[in-house]
Amino acid sequence: MKLLIVDDSSVVRRAIERDLESGEITEVDQAATGEDAVRLYSAKRHDVVTLDITMPGMDGLTCLDKIVEINPEARVLIISALRDKATAIDAIKRGASGFLCKPINPSELKEAFKLLIED
Amino acid sequence: MNDNDIQVFINGVRRYFDSIKRDVRVVIEPPFIKDEEKPFLEYTGIIGISGKAHGAVCFTANGVMLENILRFLNETPINRDVICDLVGEIANTLSGNAREEFGRDFLISVPIVSTGQNVRFQFPSDSRNYVIPIIWQAEKAFLLVCIKQDTR
Repeated sequence: MKLLIVDDSSVVRRAIERDLESGEITEVDQAATGEDAVRLYSAKRHDVVTLDITMPGMDGLTCLDKIVEINPEARVLIISALRDKATAIDAIKRGASGFLCKPINPSELKEAFKLLIED
Repeated sequence: MNDNDIQVFINGVRRYFDSIKRDVRVVIEPPFIKDEEKPFLEYTGIIGISGKAHGAVCFTANGVMLENILRFLNETPINRDVICDLVGEIANTLSGNAREEFGRDFLISVPIVSTGQNVRFQFPSDSRNYVIPIIWQAEKAFLLVCIKQDTR
């Protein structure tokens, strides 16, 4: 299973990778910008993408639109500090499979990931 | 921005530090207003606020606290770049979480990170500057909320 972790913080990217380490994941890619994420996803069609929203350059919601355009069945879990319901609803409407708020709770992250890959 | 609004940020601070390690308690001292000199420490993450409010939210801490947080996160190696990344990410998290109360029009920028006490940022001159003192593992940090709300 291929995982793409998108966040402008390297600390967050590595924390997500550590939290999701399991035998199921065979390949992990990381991107610090929306632009890099779209390029990587376009080339490798990862099974799951975790995606931040507030990033320099292309924001996460625009990145989500582009990933969904490439693959309408993409499984994208938004992980964002933006804790308002409107943003979460918007992300789901635009094709996200789930929405988690920062700070990241490792148990919630693992559970959300499990639900996503079982889907 | 008023005293009640500051509670939103206090809740965010508690949530953040609880997420690192629940059994290491964070102490949040009573917030105070400091309109002149701001109490910047070694590392400061600054988030510009726009939309229905304008100003900035800053998380400022010494390297020791940030290094301790990184150790709890099992982050290695710990160096200046990683510390700067973390302080920006904490500021981002605490600002973004405030949208739970202030809504989607509370727009936050990507983090700007400054080191040293001479922080160069154009803070609004017409806002009250709330300082929230934070103590975690005997180390002090501050969350500075320098925001003027345009509408509510």
